[in-house]
Amino acid sequence: MTMRNETKQSGNPISEEELMNSDIKKLNRRDFIKAAAATGTAAVLAVSLTPTLKALAANNQITSPADEIGKWKPTTCQGCTSWCSKEVLVVDGRAIKVRGNANSKVNGPASCPRAHMALQQVYDPDRIKTPMKRTNPKKGRNEDPGFIPISWDEALNTVADKIMELRNNQETYKYMLMRGRYSYMRDIIYDRMTKIIGSPNNISHSAICAEAEKFGPYYTEGEWTYRQYDVLNANYILCWGADPISANRQVSYYLSAWGDASDRATIAVIDPRLSASASKADEWLPIKPGEDGALASAMAHVILVEGLWYKDFVGDFTDGINKFVAGQNVNESDFEEIYTHGLVKWWNIELKDKTPEWAAGKTGLPVDQIKRVAIGYGKAAPHAISWVGGGPVMQVRGAYASMACHALNGLVGAVDNIGGTLKANKEYTQSFPGVDDYLDDIAKEGKSHKKIDHRGRLEFPALNQKSGGGVVTNNAADGILNEDPNEIKVAIGYMNNHAFSCPQDERWFRALSKIPFVVHLTTNASEFTWFSDIVLPSTHHMFEKWGYVKVHGNGYRHVTLNQPVIDPVWDVRTDETEIPWLIAEKLADRGFDNLLRHYKSYIDPETGKEPTNGQEFALYALKHATHKLWDPEEYQAGDKFNGWEDFRSTGVWNSAPYPFKKRWGAMKTDTEKFEFYSETLKRVLGEHAEKHETTTDEVLSVCNYQARGEKAFVPHYEEPFTHGDSGDLVLVDYKSRLNREGRSANCSWYHEFKDLDPGDESWDDVAKINPIDGKKLGIENGDRIKLVSPTGELECTAKLWEGTRPGTVAKCYGQGHWVYGKVAAKEFGIIPRGGNNNSIIPADYDRLSGSTAYYGVVKVKVEKV
Amino acid sequence: MSKIVSRNVNRRDFLKLGGIGIAAAIVPTLISQQSKASSPLAGKNLAMVIDLHRCVGCGSCSIVCKNENNVDGDVFWSSRISKTTGRFPNVRFEYITTLCNHCEKAPCVRACPTKAMHKGDGGITKHDPDKCIGCRYCIAACPYGVIHFNAGKSHEFWRDDKPLIEGATPSAREVTQAVNGKVIPYYNPARELDKPGTGLRKRGIVEKCTFCDHRVSKGQLPYCVEACPTNARIFGDLNDPNSEVSRILGKFHGMRLKEELGTEPKVLYVRTYSTGTHPKTKGSV
Ligand code: SF4
Ligand code: SF4
Ligand code: SF4
Repeated sequence: MTMRNETKQSGNPISEEELMNSDIKKLNRRDFIKAAAATGTAAVLAVSLTPTLKALAANNQITSPADEIGKWKPTTCQGCTSWCSKEVLVVDGRAIKVRGNANSKVNGPASCPRAHMALQQVYDPDRIKTPMKRTNPKKGRNEDPGFIPISWDEALNTVADKIMELRNNQETYKYMLMRGRYSYMRDIIYDRMTKIIGSPNNISHSAICAEAEKFGPYYTEGEWTYRQYDVLNANYILCWGADPISANRQVSYYLSAWGDASDRATIAVIDPRLSASASKADEWLPIKPGEDGALASAMAHVILVEGLWYKDFVGDFTDGINKFVAGQNVNESDFEEIYTHGLVKWWNIELKDKTPEWAAGKTGLPVDQIKRVAIGYGKAAPHAISWVGGGPVMQVRGAYASMACHALNGLVGAVDNIGGTLKANKEYTQSFPGVDDYLDDIAKEGKSHKKIDHRGRLEFPALNQKSGGGVVTNNAADGILNEDPNEIKVAIGYMNNHAFSCPQDERWFRALSKIPFVVHLTTNASEFTWFSDIVLPSTHHMFEKWGYVKVHGNGYRHVTLNQPVIDPVWDVRTDETEIPWLIAEKLADRGFDNLLRHYKSYIDPETGKEPTNGQEFALYALKHATHKLWDPEEYQAGDKFNGWEDFRSTGVWNSAPYPFKKRWGAMKTDTEKFEFYSETLKRVLGEHAEKHETTTDEVLSVCNYQARGEKAFVPHYEEPFTHGDSGDLVLVDYKSRLNREGRSANCSWYHEFKDLDPGDESWDDVAKINPIDGKKLGIENGDRIKLVSPTGELECTAKLWEGTRPGTVAKCYGQGHWVYGKVAAKEFGIIPRGGNNNSIIPADYDRLSGSTAYYGVVKVKVEKV
Repeated sequence: MSKIVSRNVNRRDFLKLGGIGIAAAIVPTLISQQSKASSPLAGKNLAMVIDLHRCVGCGSCSIVCKNENNVDGDVFWSSRISKTTGRFPNVRFEYITTLCNHCEKAPCVRACPTKAMHKGDGGITKHDPDKCIGCRYCIAACPYGVIHFNAGKSHEFWRDDKPLIEGATPSAREVTQAVNGKVIPYYNPARELDKPGTGLRKRGIVEKCTFCDHRVSKGQLPYCVEACPTNARIFGDLNDPNSEVSRILGKFHGMRLKEELGTEPKVLYVRTYSTGTHPKTKGSV
C-alpha cells in the first residue's frame, strides 16, 4: 500500500495535513515508515511532531490553528455495495470531509464521487429527527399520513403492544421483517428477533439486488457470491452490462486501477447504451437487450473452434487434434478434461450451432466484431476476465445468461487464476449467539409456517444452493395482497424502500396499505414510510452507527467498521442493534423477556460484561462478531492487532493475499470441477421437481424457461422475454454513478452533477432515445414525454442521444421520488421529480434465482405530454 | 434548489470554446512576485497536469472542490465539458474536466480595474474580495467561463427556515445551528485560514478556483488533486525540472485550452479520454 500523495505531489511527499490530522499511531504502525522511507522523508519522522508543526507555522504564517483541530476518523461507506473503508474529517464534532481509508488493501485511499455525498445525507435537513406516528388512518398513495412527532417511549410502547397482540393470539407468523441495505449486525434484527418473536417472515432485499449474478458462478464453480476481478494482471476484460468505473462493486478500487488496467488489457463492454466504461473501452458491443446469452454461446463456440481454450485447466483431445467443428458432434471419450466437467456435452447440446453468424442475427452485432472479441478474449487466456454484471442476468430467464457469460471464465482458465475472476478471501468474523434456548412454543409454532414470498413453490424455485434457498423479495407484495399463505398484521422495514425500489411499485402501495400496522426504521420519510404507522428515525450508517461489513477486491478481503464518528445529529437510534434492544426491553416489560435475555447473552469479549443498554449492546455485539480479528490470542490470519482499540482506531482488517488456483479441482460443485455440464444444477433442480412431484421439464415450463431436457443443465441461450408487445422501445434501465443506492436524490450534488452519467443532464431526468427513433416517433430533444408500460407510466424529459441503441430507451434509475425530501420530490408527497423506472417495469422474475427482472423486461410506449 | 442551474461552461459552449488548442513549447517563465520572498510558493510556477487517459469523468474533483471551498450549488470552480459525438454505433463520449487555468497571461487580471484579480505567488491567479467591486470585467475577459458572479446571497438552500414535516424534521438552518456549522453544516473552516471571512463569498463579488492556495501554501495538494481516485490530476512546479509535472510534460504533449489566444494556461492536458485501440486498417477509397 502506498501513502496518499506519494506519487502526486511535488515537493512535500507527505502532506502536512497528514501529519497534523491523521492518527499518528496508526500511520506509524502500518505504512507511515514504509511510505516515508520510500519517499525519502524519513527525516521528517526523525523529529518529533511538535517542532515540525511549529516550524511549519512559522514558515507559512498560519494565522489560525484551525487546520490542526480536525481528525480523520475511520468508518465505512455503504453508499453502494462496494463497502469501502473510509475516513471522515471531523472538526469540532462536525463531519466535513470524506476520503478512502488508506489502511484498506481493498480500496486504499481512493474514493468514488458519491462517497462525498454522504455529508449531504447525514446533514440532510429532511432527516427525521424524532419518532413519528400516523394520524390519518386511511392509507394510500394519495393519503397524507399526517405524521406527528411522538416520544421514543410512546413509539416503542405501540410497537411492543402490537407484537404482544400477535403473541397473545398465537399468530406470530403474521409478523414480518423487511430488510433493505444492511451491515453484518443484521442478524440481530433480521434473524434473531424474527425467530424469537416467532415468525418465518424475515424477508431480505437480496433478490432485488443481483442474485442472478451469483447463479452462474454457483452452478459452475460452486460459489454463491460476487466475484472479485484481478484487473491489474488481466490481458482482456469483458464486461457484461457491468460498468466498473460507475457502479457494480469495488468502484473506488476499480477507479484507481482502471488507468493501469486499460494500459495492459483490451477492454470490451457489452451494453445497449454507451456507459461510462464503454466510453473508455477498446470495444463497445451495443447488444440488443437480453441477447447476451447468444453472444456468450457464440464466443464459446469460436474459442473452441479456434482451439483457444486453456488446456492446462480444461484439458485437450486425447490425440491433440481439435475436433470442434461447427455443426458437428464430438465424442465425449475423445476429450480428456482436467479441472472441468462436461465440456463436450456443452458443445454437443448447446454450442456446436452457435456460430458468430447466428449470434449476429440475435444480438444485432457485426459478425467480425463478435469474432474479433471472442478470439481476442480467447488468446488472452488465462488472464481473461468475463465480468458478469446485473444487466444480462437480472432478466426473465437470466439464470442461464449468468451461466453462459460466466462459463467463459472456465473456458479460458481465468477462474481462481491470476488476472482472472476470484472469490472472496477467507475472513474470521463469527456469528451471534444462537436462538434455540430462547424459542418458546409460540415461537416454534409460528416459525414453522411458510414464508410470504412463496420461495420454493413450484413456480419460484429460488435455487440458492437448494430449492427455496433464496428469496423472492418482490413477490412478497403479492403474498401480502393475497393473504397467501396468510395475512400480515405487523411489519417492520429497515433501510429499505420497497415502494420505490421494487418493480411495479404500486403493488407495494397497496400491499403496505393493507397491512394494519407498519413500522419503518429510516433516516428520511420515504415512499415506504408514507404507508407506515410508526416511524423510527435511524442513524446514518457512515457517521453514527456501530457495525461492520466484509467485502473483497484487489485480491484481498477487508472487514471494515461502521463507527459513530460524530454524535448523532438528532434523537435517532441504530436500526440493527439499539432499536431491537429497545423493543426487547418493552416486550420484557410486558412479560415476554426471551428476546432481551437473548440479547443480554452478547457479552463484551474484553470485560465479560453483559450489556445494560442499547448502545452497550451494539458495541459488545460488534466486538463479539469481530473478536478473532482484533484479539491477538485469537489470531487467525491477515492483519494482526493488539486489541480492540487498535483495530477500532485503524478501522479495517485485511485478509491474507489471495491464494490463486487453490480451488482448481476442489470446487464446491458436485464433481469438484468447474461444471460446463452442471451436475449440481441437475441435482438441485431435480430435488425441486421431486418436491413438487413433477419433472424438471415441467418446472422449466411453469417458470417460463425455454430449455427442456439436458439443455437445462448447461449454460445456454434463451430468448429474452419482454412484456408490452405493443410498445415502441425496450427500456434499458441502469444505475447512476451518483446513486447511493436509491438514497441520494435528496442531495443537491446529485442533481448538480447528474450529467456525469454519459448522456444525462443536470437537474433533469432524461430518457435517452436514439435520434433515428426520435424521428420515427416524432420526439424532439427536450420534449416532455411519458413512458407507458402495461403496468404503469412515468413522466420525464426526452433526450435524443447517439449513445442509445436504436429500438431502446435508456433511462437511469434513481429519480422519481415523490417523497424522501424537498429536493428529491418536486412537491413532497404529491409530485415526483423525474420518473421512477420501477413504475413502468412489470413485476417479473428470473425464477430459478428468485431475482427480480429489471432489464430487457418491458417495451414502453413513448407519448408526448 | 429546484431551479435549473447552468454550469459556467456547459457542453453547448464547448464548440464555441473551440476545444483544445495545441501548445507550443511550454516555456517556464518568471513570475512577478507580489508578496514577501519568505512565501513558500515564491519562485514556483505552479501547474496542474490532467491525464485524460486516467480520468474517467467521475466528477469527484468537482464535487470535492465544492466541499473544500464551500462553493454554492450553481457555482462550479471545478467543472467539466462533456460531449457525445458520432453516429451509433460509432459513438464517442468525451469528458474534459476544467477549472481556472491560472493563465500566465491572465486576461481577467488585465481586465480588472481594481487589481482584485491578480497574480500571486506560485503564479496563482488570485482574487481579493475586499478589492472586488463586482464590475464583472474579469468574467467578460476570461475565455474559459470559469469565473462566477454572486448576484445573491450564497447557499440560500441552507438558510431555509421551513421544515419538511412540522416538528419531526429540522429546517436547513436548524441543521447548521445544531452542529455549529457556518451557513452550511459541513462548512470547511480551512478555506478561510489565510484570510478570515473568506470562507464563503459575499454577494456582489466574483469567485473562482484559487488552486487551493490555502492548502498549497501549507504544502498540501489542491483538494481536487488529493481526491481524484484515478490520479488523473497531477500538481507541481514547472520551474522544477524534476517535478512530476515537468517529468510528465517531458514525455507527453501538453495541450492547453484555447491555445491560440495566447493566455498560456497552467492547466495542461495530456493523452486522450478515449483509451481504446482500434483494429489495424488502411481504410478504403
Ligand atoms: S459509494 Fe460505494 S464505491 Fe463509493 S465509497 Fe461508498 S461504498 Fe465505496
Ligand atoms: S476526479 Fe479525477 S478521474 Fe474523476 S473526473 Fe476528476 S480528474 Fe477525472
Ligand atoms: S485547485 Fe482547489 S479550488 Fe481549484 S478546482 Fe481544484 S479543488 Fe477547486
